[in-house]
Amino acid sequence: MFQYYFVLGLRSLRRNPALTALMVLTLAVGVAASVATLTILHVMSGDPIPHKSDRLFVPLVDNGPVQSYKPGDEPNDNQLSYTDAKNFLNSKAAERATAIYGASVAVEPERKDIGVFTTRGLAVASDYFNMFDAPFRHGQAWSPADDKAAANVVVLGRKLADKLYGDTDPVGKRITLSGKQYQIVGVLDKWTVVPRFHRIIGSADGAFSDEDDMFVPFTTSIRNEMQRNGSTSCTDDISPGYQAFLDSECTWIQFWFETRSASDRASLQNYLDSYAAEQRKLGRLKRNAANRLYDVREWLDFMKVVGNDNKLSAWLAFGFLVLCLVNTIGLLLAKFSVRAAEVGIRRALGASRREIFQQFLIETTVVGLVGGVLGLALAFGALALIAMQSTALTVVAHMDWIMLLTTFAMAVLSAVLAGLLPTWRACQVTPAMQLKSQ
Amino acid sequence: MEIRPILSALLRNKTGPILVAVQVALSLGILANALHIVQVRQAVSARASGIANEADVFTVQVRRLQKGNHQEQLAAQHRETDTLRAVPGVLSVASTSQMPLSRSGNYTGVATDRKQYKSTLTTSTFVTADSLVKTWGLQLVDGRDFLPAEVLEIDENTSNEFPKVAIITRLQGEKLWPGAASFVGKTFYFGVGDEARDARVIGVVERLQSPNAQIGERGDFSTIVPTRLTGDDASAYTLRAEPGQLDRVIKEAEAALRASSPTPVIVKVKTMVEFRRDRYRADNALAWMLVTVSVLLLLITSSGIVGMASLWVTQRRKQIGVRRALGACRMDILRYFVTENIMITSVGVGAGVLLALGLNQLLVSQLEMARLPAGYLIAGAGVFWALGIAAVYGPAWRAASISPATATRSA
Repeated sequence: MFQYYFVLGLRSLRRNPALTALMVLTLAVGVAASVATLTILHVMSGDPIPHKSDRLFVPLVDNGPVQSYKPGDEPNDNQLSYTDAKNFLNSKAAERATAIYGASVAVEPERKDIGVFTTRGLAVASDYFNMFDAPFRHGQAWSPADDKAAANVVVLGRKLADKLYGDTDPVGKRITLSGKQYQIVGVLDKWTVVPRFHRIIGSADGAFSDEDDMFVPFTTSIRNEMQRNGSTSCTDDISPGYQAFLDSECTWIQFWFETRSASDRASLQNYLDSYAAEQRKLGRLKRNAANRLYDVREWLDFMKVVGNDNKLSAWLAFGFLVLCLVNTIGLLLAKFSVRAAEVGIRRALGASRREIFQQFLIETTVVGLVGGVLGLALAFGALALIAMQSTALTVVAHMDWIMLLTTFAMAVLSAVLAGLLPTWRACQVTPAMQLKSQ
Repeated sequence: MEIRPILSALLRNKTGPILVAVQVALSLGILANALHIVQVRQAVSARASGIANEADVFTVQVRRLQKGNHQEQLAAQHRETDTLRAVPGVLSVASTSQMPLSRSGNYTGVATDRKQYKSTLTTSTFVTADSLVKTWGLQLVDGRDFLPAEVLEIDENTSNEFPKVAIITRLQGEKLWPGAASFVGKTFYFGVGDEARDARVIGVVERLQSPNAQIGERGDFSTIVPTRLTGDDASAYTLRAEPGQLDRVIKEAEAALRASSPTPVIVKVKTMVEFRRDRYRADNALAWMLVTVSVLLLLITSSGIVGMASLWVTQRRKQIGVRRALGACRMDILRYFVTENIMITSVGVGAGVLLALGLNQLLVSQLEMARLPAGYLIAGAGVFWALGIAAVYGPAWRAASISPATATRSA
């Protein structure tokens, strides 16, 4: 019977083409709008590193000036000073740790056909690659010994490696960065992390920025006084010169700890508190503010990765879907009411209300399926349009299997929901009245 | 009047009219808020940066591979400035540490008193060795521009010196010294406490947006100081080209800089138009999305009204025939349907106004959006009344064309 009703449903699509087209289109547009915005929200608020998002922590200590501080004020900044970052790196407080800051260098390629150009990268510790699951195409990360020795080594991002060396493996070669020779120890593969949670601060596109071009040891970058590229916040006056800048309370470094298990958070917090107490004895961190730890999800929340505009779009799209549903209900009512006579005859010939209900509901499901397919196509189109708006959104605007299934389920469910009232009304037809009026 | 019979007919068959009213209410609720947000965003992105004729302005960053010492860097900067000035079509050149709307720049807390512990406001500091007032065409409302003698040459890496004079924006002056008749000659402090550095205001410009162009007055707190900085391996300049010559001037400026430098340099150019586009990209994208949704909303609502009205006309063919046979003229039938639709739309508009207010309340409290002005509700109501009448007109006209003979036929 199901199959028969299904075929009937398909046929009835053709019976009233204008009305049906309107219905399918309304449904498709509503579904496409909500799926497009929902996809963006879903990707933006996703967990970028599910297997260890509760083991990676950002530590924040407040080194702001004490004079203007009232207990309970927001922390002075969301980055650390060099002093704190260096101490954390040397602390062994957790399994792994890395400091991060943006560095910018001039690349002088060996190939004469490419001129000199600037590139942006990160100064990190050797643990960085393991902590964030960076995939290597060639070679590997530098060693902790390189960290200690501040060796001139570099890991290239895939785009820079392609540009300079094409398909060949450049590991072991030397490259000139801002006038100094570095040895290439590794090349990264394609590395998609959305949101790029360890790169939120200091890049124009924030959590949805592109891959970085190169990575050098944090210690090397400091030793070579590499140009900083990112945000720096200073509250008091600093003396001239690089060493004075390092010694200052300016905050410009991001930091991540990785613990062995999620339960080690308490001991990391203990370490942080005792560290802060110790520093206070040395005359630093005078604010005596709470020392904070953020795991990946808390950090994404704290940094407001999902903006209000994205939430607004999603809400709006759902309001729009509701409107489309109401509209579809109206159209279905119209469609079914013309068929009162047909229902009357079927009922007179012995079909129960239940049968009629089934038939009409299957018919609306068919509308839902067609609307779903069209909605999916429209959603892809909408996402492509949104992706064209900016490079940052290109990273975000892609569909996965979950969203694909959601679209379909949503379209069919909306159609069935919209069909309930008209179907129920169709079942109320009294056969005698209908037959009499014929 | 026909209202009573129409009303009782409506009450007998409620589902359809309710659906139409709900549609109108939803559309009005969403539309009023969406268009209001569009308007707010447009107003934000239309704010003036203070730069006159932005289309002719661009910036060039020159990065030298050999940094050189203080004297060499000064010489390089002078050479680069001269090279740029010599490019045909260049009206004015000034060195600058940052650009309005560029989303990256230097901010400093400033105070009006050395004993103050909390800074009064945060200003964005533009460092120039030339005249930004001239190059950018800033509107000087009080005081004067810098004199060449006031420009300091400071090596960031060795010197702690800081300029003693500054040009500020009018809004910054009003915030620092509320109620003062003139800000020229007044002293303010970069930073707070004993080490804060004093600067005297010598000029006031009407407007100069900060690199981030934040919403509200803080996007207009800017300070210009006369200094030539060395110590970085890059210097940036901003240029004004003759109107319409921008593309050619950019190409020739880049080539001239490369040709004139004895050591290899990396030259990067970005126009003010590009800075503005990138700064407001998100706002414009949201505005476009909202406009698209609003248009679809109107289309779907009107198609819903047309659909439902057509259905009623079909359902009432016989009654219409009877009325026509009993002497009602076409106008009467037309009026009946239009009146009926106005009644339904009015209910929908009433509910829609409430919904719009409720939705706005939610947006204000949850997503920090602005409050909805009454004008949008009135305009929205007007639009939907007009839409309702326009949409029902077709079906109503078809109803009016039903011939009286229909009544005499069965079915």
